[in-house]
Amino acid sequence: MVDKDTDIIKIDAELCTGCRRCAEVCPVDAIEGKQGTPQFINVEKCVMCGQCIQICSAYASIFEEYRTSREDKLRERNMPVTLEEPIFAAYNIGDLPKVKEALTNTEAFTMVQCAPAVRVAIAEEFGMPLGSLAPGKLAAALRQLGFNRIYDTNFAADLTIMEEGSELVQRITEGGLLPMFTSCCPAWVKFVEQEYPELIPHLSSCKSPQQMAGTMFKTYGAQADGVEPDNIYSVAIMPCTCKKFESQRPEMNTDGYQNVDAVLTTRELAYLIKEAGIDFSSLPEEDFDKPLGMYSGAGHLFCATGGVMEAAIRTAYELITNEPIPNVNIQYVRGSQGVRRGVVHAGDVKVKTVVVSGLKNVVPILEEIKKGNADFHFMEVMTCPVGCVSGGGQPKVLLPKDTEIAYKNRISSTYRHDEEQTYRKSHENPEIKAIYKNFLGEPLGHKSHHLLHTEYKQRGYCK
Amino acid sequence: MNTFILGNPGKCIGCKACEIACSVAHLDTSVVKANEMNLPFISRLNLVRTSSVTMPIQCRQCEDAPCANVCSVGAIVHKDNCNVVLEEKCIGCKECMLACPFGMIDMQPKFTEGEAEFQVGLKVESLQGEQKKAYVVMQKCDLCKGRANGPACIEVCPADAFVIVNPDFIRKNIHDKRVSSAQEIAKRKYTGNS
Repeated sequence: MVDKDTDIIKIDAELCTGCRRCAEVCPVDAIEGKQGTPQFINVEKCVMCGQCIQICSAYASIFEEYRTSREDKLRERNMPVTLEEPIFAAYNIGDLPKVKEALTNTEAFTMVQCAPAVRVAIAEEFGMPLGSLAPGKLAAALRQLGFNRIYDTNFAADLTIMEEGSELVQRITEGGLLPMFTSCCPAWVKFVEQEYPELIPHLSSCKSPQQMAGTMFKTYGAQADGVEPDNIYSVAIMPCTCKKFESQRPEMNTDGYQNVDAVLTTRELAYLIKEAGIDFSSLPEEDFDKPLGMYSGAGHLFCATGGVMEAAIRTAYELITNEPIPNVNIQYVRGSQGVRRGVVHAGDVKVKTVVVSGLKNVVPILEEIKKGNADFHFMEVMTCPVGCVSGGGQPKVLLPKDTEIAYKNRISSTYRHDEEQTYRKSHENPEIKAIYKNFLGEPLGHKSHHLLHTEYKQRGYCK
Repeated sequence: MNTFILGNPGKCIGCKACEIACSVAHLDTSVVKANEMNLPFISRLNLVRTSSVTMPIQCRQCEDAPCANVCSVGAIVHKDNCNVVLEEKCIGCKECMLACPFGMIDMQPKFTEGEAEFQVGLKVESLQGEQKKAYVVMQKCDLCKGRANGPACIEVCPADAFVIVNPDFIRKNIHDKRVSSAQEIAKRKYTGNS
């Protein structure tokens, strides 16, 4: 059975030359078809990571005639018809029409959140060098577009650390199911649900930061602004194409309100800014709004592979030992190898960690776990090559030789931005302290469980 | 002897990355991201796809170049083992296109700093009134002359489907063929199969 919502990534059969480079980068072998003929996507297997979109070089040439005009192709993709950039065979269905409508609807109170990986890449869409860091301009652009509240996924990343870190400590100290898996990457979560359903209980029950932010918008945020949740339109700006799928999941609904109403990729936000005639590069630096826009360096790290782990260690160490961590920069979780193992010595507790980037690299480890040979406690998995900075919704680099420098620069801006922050640990973020004091109570408490945790399900397609 | 680049149809997977790399290499501005490409890809090689073959086709830099022989304004000159087009001389008469036995020449709009160039005197009549007429010139593979890393198509091809056919390559190729012919003939003579 094909789930309509999973039909987000597509291949234009008129443009596809059947070179199958997309099939080479697809981590789940979801791209099917013979060499030299148009490919199609097995939507049940597809985890919507969008890496096929990034690698595709089959473009619409002005020297060829197609049955569907360029304008119609742009419309099918929900891309602005005024767009001048070339179009390629692999693409995602966009969400711009929904967001534009919400921005013009006077009844709607729009709250937008922005994922950490967006601020290290969006400036590239406006001619700035690869990896330029632009949080202030990003906030300013969102404000000029007319969003009512400019909030931040980084805040929710800090919140995720509070919940996920506490869940890990609880599983270790009280004897819960180990190893625990991160649940921030929706493509990874879908992969577990369809390929390894027997391992679903290993996933952290935490919602991803995107979904936690959405829940908070329609509860705590609604209270802060005195707005009815019904009137809140919750938008997320993401480096990821699978976040569109995650936002539509029925599990991501709290008390009848879908946590996130629409997701734009980094590229789609750039289209919106350009269409509005905003000169991004000359925008002044502005701040995100409070309370849901304040973040620590740890929260920002979520966009690089190893970042969730590093943020979690900074907090878990202090939860376990009640002492400050000697060095906040945890180098061994950083890097670009597909699998990085390590141990954190937190007092008497030794927490063994595994960081995986690239979904294919996780399969041998999952097999290890199934055989009962896993000897570690916590595993972070990111589907894309070096984490969210290399996501399917990020600026598309034309030639493969330039991707390496793009990833390197986006990652180095990530660590620079962490170092620039006043607070480097999620639990030190004053707005995080306030939200627990004023609203949530405590991590893993009744209210936080209701709002911030979810469950995962076995999917129709199984290996 | 002129150097040329030859695509290997046995290796080519038809991804068009060579066309993109060629277009980007011949821009007068630096372009890294898709969004910066606010003009069409104007490639000097062309990927041919039929039901039985996929192969990039580009100029063979002929020794007795039919394109240069028919050019009435002398816009094709020989320079550094390569037939080069002087775009400023080209009048777009298309004779070279017809003369080329391989179909490797295109008439393509000319862009300078990302802007299309228009003709001074000629206008196009349309329903919207008089429009400027684009400046179109002959373009073909120039082996990416002056590019630090050599031809962009070779550099980007994920299937290693290009080979540079230069005088050394040809000399070695011919030499090897002669040696194997001699060995074959000698073998037949000794075994009495001649």
